[in-house]
Amino acid sequence: MSWLYDWWIALAKLLGLGDELQYPFVARGVVAVLLLAPLLGGLSHLVVARRLAFFSTTLGQAALTGLVIGVAAGQPLDDTYASILGFCLIVGVVMTYVRRQALLPPDTVIGVFMAFTLGLGICLLVAATRRFNIHQIEAVMFGSVLTLTDHDLVLVLGLGALLGVALALAYNAILADSLSPPIAKARRLPTTAIDYGFVVIVTIAITVSLKVIGALLVEAMVVVPAAAARNVARSTRGYLIWSIAIAVVAGLGGLFASTIWRIPSGGAIVLALSICFFITLIAGRMRSGRPERS
Amino acid sequence: MSEAIELDNVTIRRDGRAVVEAVTLAVGAGTIHVLIGPNGAGKSTLLAALLGQIAFTGTIAQHFKRDAVVGYVPQSFVADRTLPITVGEFLALARQKWPVCLGVRPHARARIGELLAKVGLPGFERRRLGELSGGELRRVLIANALDPVPELLLCDEPATGLDPAAVLQLDALLTELRDQHRTTIVMVSHDRQQVRRIANRVTLLDVTVRDTGQTDKVLERAGKAVT
Repeated sequence: MSWLYDWWIALAKLLGLGDELQYPFVARGVVAVLLLAPLLGGLSHLVVARRLAFFSTTLGQAALTGLVIGVAAGQPLDDTYASILGFCLIVGVVMTYVRRQALLPPDTVIGVFMAFTLGLGICLLVAATRRFNIHQIEAVMFGSVLTLTDHDLVLVLGLGALLGVALALAYNAILADSLSPPIAKARRLPTTAIDYGFVVIVTIAITVSLKVIGALLVEAMVVVPAAAARNVARSTRGYLIWSIAIAVVAGLGGLFASTIWRIPSGGAIVLALSICFFITLIAGRMRSGRPERS
Repeated sequence: MSEAIELDNVTIRRDGRAVVEAVTLAVGAGTIHVLIGPNGAGKSTLLAALLGQIAFTGTIAQHFKRDAVVGYVPQSFVADRTLPITVGEFLALARQKWPVCLGVRPHARARIGELLAKVGLPGFERRRLGELSGGELRRVLIANALDPVPELLLCDEPATGLDPAAVLQLDALLTELRDQHRTTIVMVSHDRQQVRRIANRVTLLDVTVRDTGQTDKVLERAGKAVT
């Protein structure tokens, strides 16, 4: 992928970016953000529409536990996708099943699962740190573009395209089910399959994003873009465009900030997202007194 | 008159308590059948059973073709009112395969315009769903249930929140569906005047069937207290 790095260095020079932003790992980070941000940003507005923000937070915590399980089981630290995806899928599907039984309010059920996954992760973390330096695990927990490989980019590209197609095909059904499950059921939409299928999509998206965003912060990427977009969007189309735009801007801004100031990329991206949220909040408030447009 | 729906000894339990008990009822094809009764009588629950959304014992036989279109106007619409979605986009969800977030297609836009005009909301396509009044939202839900023309239409208190003119407009839409398309309509209503105007048959439900038959007779026997 040397052409990619050459292209990035040429572009960075053209844009007058500093020397620290002209390394190949920054190029990998830029490509990863440009692939992940539209996916997560697009996904985020459905996550919020389906009221799965807290659910996604729990999946992020489960990713940490999945990582620790993989490391404790002997997987190499830079290739823990299988354990993270496996554990997150189990947690997501079981949590969805229990939530659908409606024995308790959804947030209570999700809170119980979050406590379980976090408790298990913390206990296993002790075992994992016996085999690895805690700083190596921190890179996965908080995100680091330094650990990105070409193999990761291919994975993000392949799975991202797959998830994008699945979302586009099922978009109207997912949104209809989010708005009113009874009406969706009356129209013979497969609401159970939609519920579980969407959880699987979110889980895969979170898993492939971990290296850039980090296990502890990845849920922010599937919640905050939509929350920020909601402040200014007036239509579903605007909601999607704003969500993706905010995810891309915050993703690139956070990536550059993390490279320049040598801070974890995940933390920097989430901070950038939060800044976007507050800017759109103010912009939305300022606009609320004006005539409406979509 | 052939029967479109036949319920036989239908019982629905919630937390061990029967909220609908031993209901045996027939709904004629191409008729408007109204369920009346006090709050908590099980009317909405019975509609949920007809939609197949709730577990029950007994049998419900529906004599429609396999992929019959079912329209449903729920009693409440609990979607997040801050969600940025326009009326046009909401109605487009069931009228195009193209993802609504990428735009409403011309054929769907034309159909949506017709539907909104039918329910007295012309030009509402670009209004946000969450900004509508209760009556306007209800009319949007009615528009959504009208297309494609359903073989079975289930309406849970569709006149709630509507002004008198809008109720008459709703009556005209429902009777048009029944008379021109032979749609079978099962409706829950507390509006005694509306029931008199459009119902072919009425069932008084209070957990179980207390009375059923011709509209005037059932309403007369039920007295003023019930509806």
